[in-house]
Amino acid sequence: MSAKQPRLVEVKSISKSFGNFRALDSVNLTVRPGTFHAVIGENGAGKSTLAKCMLGFHALNAGEVVVDETRITNPDDARRLGMGMVFQNFTLVPSMTVAENLLLARKDLPAFLNSREEHTRLQKFLETAPFSIDLESRIAHLAAGQKQKVEILKQLYLDTKILILDEPTSVLTPAESDEVMGVLARMVERGTLSVVLITHKLRDVMDFADDVTVLRHGRVVASMPVEQANPVKLAELMMGESRPPEPITKKNNSTPTAAALEVKELTVRGDNGLVAVNQVSLTVHRGEILGVAGVSGNGQRELVQAIAGQCTIESGEIRSFDEPFYPTRRGIRKAGLFTLPEEPLENATVPSMSVAENISLRKFDQPPFAKARWFLNRSAIKDAALAVIRNFSIRPPFPDVPIRNLSGGNVRRAVLGRDLMGNEAKILVVANPCVGLDFAATAFVHNHLVEIRNDGGALLLVSEDLDELVKLADRIVVMSCGVIAHETLPSELDRTVVGGYMGGHVAASASCKICS
Amino acid sequence: MKRHSMIPSPRSIESVAIPAIAFLLAMALFGGFCVFWGAPFWGVFSSIYRAGFGSWYSWQNSLLRAAPLMLCGLCTALPARAGIITVGNEGAFVMGGLAAAAAGLATQSAPAWVSLSSMAVAGIIAGGLWIALAAGLQHYRGVNAVISSLLMNYIAIAFMLQLVEGPMRDPGSLNFPATYPISPSHQLGRLFNSRVHMGLVFGVVASLLVWFLLERTVWGMKVKVVGGNSRTASLVGLPLGAIILTASFIGGGCAGLAGMVEVAAVHGRASHAIAAGYGYAGILVAFLSRQSPLRIVIVSLILGAVIASGGSLQRDLDLPDASIAVFEGIVFLLILASETLYGRFEFFRDTRDAF
Amino acid sequence: MHFNSVNLWVVAAALLGAAIRGSIPYMFVSLGECLTEKSGRINLGMEGILLMSAMTAFAVSQRTGSPWLGALTAAIVGGILGLLHGSLTELPGVNDIAAGVAMVVFGSGLAFFFGKQFVAPMAPQLPVLEFGKWASNPALRAALRISPLFFLGIVTAFVLHYALKYTRWGLHVRAVGDAPEAARSMGISARQHRLIATTIGATLAGIGGAHLTLYFPGIWSEGISGGQGLMAVALVIFARWSPLRCLAVSLFFGGAQALDPSLQALGFGGFYHLLNASPYVLTLILMIVSCSRSRKLIGMPGALAGRG
Repeated sequence: MSAKQPRLVEVKSISKSFGNFRALDSVNLTVRPGTFHAVIGENGAGKSTLAKCMLGFHALNAGEVVVDETRITNPDDARRLGMGMVFQNFTLVPSMTVAENLLLARKDLPAFLNSREEHTRLQKFLETAPFSIDLESRIAHLAAGQKQKVEILKQLYLDTKILILDEPTSVLTPAESDEVMGVLARMVERGTLSVVLITHKLRDVMDFADDVTVLRHGRVVASMPVEQANPVKLAELMMGESRPPEPITKKNNSTPTAAALEVKELTVRGDNGLVAVNQVSLTVHRGEILGVAGVSGNGQRELVQAIAGQCTIESGEIRSFDEPFYPTRRGIRKAGLFTLPEEPLENATVPSMSVAENISLRKFDQPPFAKARWFLNRSAIKDAALAVIRNFSIRPPFPDVPIRNLSGGNVRRAVLGRDLMGNEAKILVVANPCVGLDFAATAFVHNHLVEIRNDGGALLLVSEDLDELVKLADRIVVMSCGVIAHETLPSELDRTVVGGYMGGHVAASASCKICS
Repeated sequence: MKRHSMIPSPRSIESVAIPAIAFLLAMALFGGFCVFWGAPFWGVFSSIYRAGFGSWYSWQNSLLRAAPLMLCGLCTALPARAGIITVGNEGAFVMGGLAAAAAGLATQSAPAWVSLSSMAVAGIIAGGLWIALAAGLQHYRGVNAVISSLLMNYIAIAFMLQLVEGPMRDPGSLNFPATYPISPSHQLGRLFNSRVHMGLVFGVVASLLVWFLLERTVWGMKVKVVGGNSRTASLVGLPLGAIILTASFIGGGCAGLAGMVEVAAVHGRASHAIAAGYGYAGILVAFLSRQSPLRIVIVSLILGAVIASGGSLQRDLDLPDASIAVFEGIVFLLILASETLYGRFEFFRDTRDAF
Repeated sequence: MHFNSVNLWVVAAALLGAAIRGSIPYMFVSLGECLTEKSGRINLGMEGILLMSAMTAFAVSQRTGSPWLGALTAAIVGGILGLLHGSLTELPGVNDIAAGVAMVVFGSGLAFFFGKQFVAPMAPQLPVLEFGKWASNPALRAALRISPLFFLGIVTAFVLHYALKYTRWGLHVRAVGDAPEAARSMGISARQHRLIATTIGATLAGIGGAHLTLYFPGIWSEGISGGQGLMAVALVIFARWSPLRCLAVSLFFGGAQALDPSLQALGFGGFYHLLNASPYVLTLILMIVSCSRSRKLIGMPGALAGRG
């Protein structure tokens, strides 16, 4: 690896539109060689688009990206000038080993590989690399954090000098995240790397970055050295106005309430055959929101799927109102237990069906939607859909369009509306409800959830956003490596302690069968 | 935004126009192919047309072929709507025919309607179980239904041949092994003094029934949810296994019924001739109809005419019988290729699409 | 019952010889299908390709008098059909399964169309290697006549194995088949690699087809492939997408096919059809046993997982 200096990157007034949608508008950015530059903004602000433009993936509508006097017009230019990116979705091949993945990334790979020679080269590279990973392990067997490290290694192996990272820490525990960021920051300090970090985590910005640029709706609203910034100011700039978090009215329940949802020693295997949920027990009471915190990939998805009936339970039990719960249509109706999984379009709708049909999914076999138990009453279905569309402000307000034509936020509204209309929901299991939603939509969803709680409903809220949990939950548990590692109240929450448990390497490590 | 319900939407026009254009293109290519072999371009198609639709005689030939195509098409289409793709139509057809023959021979002494009913029931059950088995193996064991059903086709044919040449053999059927014949009084009747048998009615009724089930009943909605997104189906508590098995059973039952018709109306007995390839043609029909029952009726008619005209090319133009298979192949390939054109043309775009 | 020991040896040798002979088409088609599936495509049209190339080999051999030219042309024809199938399935919105069935209809239609004029007794055959020259028993000698294509098949399996593991192209093909998006993000063209893999795969199947008609008994008939094209697809699945395992399983299948004449020779007969069906039954049973509900079989290329 040569000790060249990274080059100067200048983004000069670039604009990029997709059809009618203006993603970037006259964006200026400068990444000085050997600096750590953070780009922050809300979801949809244009951060990922900016990164892709910098790497030459998109043709620009205006402006140019210049690296050391050379214009970038396509990804090969960017690659040649030492730019590389670590994406949010892994770009690794699961059935291949780490070594093969590293080799695959090279453009100058010879047609015939001398495996011993290549292996020695890789070993030598690993010695100088900041992380160590077993070269022969298959990607499919690695945890998310390790995959992220392989991605970074890949870039270093390719001699990337200007590294762009798109929300890299979303799959890392706080400890892993600090480790990775720390390593990169040290390389920046030594002058061998420039880093562009796209994130919405202000803590990472304050701890590691030299400069920060704030994007909002495709425009740069501020750009400054980090010394001149502070989290409150940055948050304001990101959101657009100084807005204290909306106070959520919660009723105080002083009397101990009955258990609505009980999960007893639940064990579930994930897609890869390994145990994902490991004898988890928890209880949600009526009129309570139980928050499940944790970095994704620690069994939360499987927990939700198990309750929803989307995957099989290996052992353990789920009970609702002190009776065994079976996720059949009758069981769901009887218990009033509805699940709203994450990524609603993929997991909770039939994308090719219309909005009206999707809204009717829980009830189409009951009157008034079914006549004489056998025949569909399409006009009743349509009317009910119109009511949900009205009450939940779904755009566009046409019941007959395929639901896949709607934006993510509107799909979420439709699914929420489906389950909340009719007030039959007594237990709600919700996962990451506000991903991809703007501020107003998030508030809308949160208010509905709290309303259910106040009316006596029990909510199991799984979320990767600790702020969301602190705002809404009555109790918070941390799920890590498939077990419940820690329990706390929002008022007593200590982020470092919680962060430690998220890694599972504090007291809970003895029971952590996956990490050890 | 209201649309007058009588005017077809751009989408439905598109779904007729694109396959129609592909068909015409296939005709052009096939015509060119025949010209290369010395046959006149238009002569080829007029020969096909005459043999398919030219006279009442030809119409009957076409309708006779269309009947099993409809039923076999449903065999692929209905499970496909539930998310299971199989190609086991031929196997279900053969098993249905075999079971029907056995039932028919066992009820020779009963009144005709009893015998025919039991043949039909036997055929439906045999075919239905056959396809349900493949579907069940995929759902409960993860065994790819396409491959398992294809294997089961060969197994069914071998089984049938073994029985027809062995235990069920009629000693009188010397060079052409077959079962004992079913007496003419107990065979399936004809319609209106024509050569077209009741099988056509079965085909049309079955298609209408399946359409009705899918579009107008609660069960049909369940099938479409399961086929549209099985995760969502589980989420709303639908019993995936039961729905998939039922849909597959009904689909397989249709093919089994077609097998029964082949035995009870066409041959009057079971022999290797009942493995006539209607099953594979049924797959074609289902995909060309985009798994829609009403379309299956129309496509079956057209394909039936094409198949019926197979011999005409040999008679009129001295082209080998297999020319028709080449035509079928070209049509199939082009209509499949045309699937890629949906949604590409501005002309057909619905203004409510894409927000 | 007392078996004559010499007879038993002869029968065993005959079985081995038949297994080797029978394995050749399976080898080539399964290696071809293995490569295709490694790149993320499933080609169900192999049956049609097999028929068309079998007919081509026969026809060219008869017309030109050179069986090797016949085999070569068969391979080329296979490649062309593979290219056609590959291009068709690359079009967005085209269903792989339907495309495969279409290819079977088209390929067999073409084969029967052109083949009508070639249903003459025999065409010049590919030469064989005589491994039984030392034997006095003519049956034994006949049993040990092995086609050079057998050894070509073995070599092909090893070449494929090596290529997938130790060449840049092989890594690219595996990446494309397992994680197409990841490959795309690294600048590897999924379409190109799939297309090439499908074409090469069908070319290999073409060689297998040549063996069907250019080897004893050396006739062309419409049923000559007998479902082997399809069987190879199942074969690849429980060889778990490994070229070397494909080799072993092909021998096993070839042997299974040879069972009927051997059993008849030993005195058990009359189950012709059921025995014919035994490879299909075995395949089905093996699939049932080795698959499990947790969808993904070990070794399955990721891009195949979402199929049918």
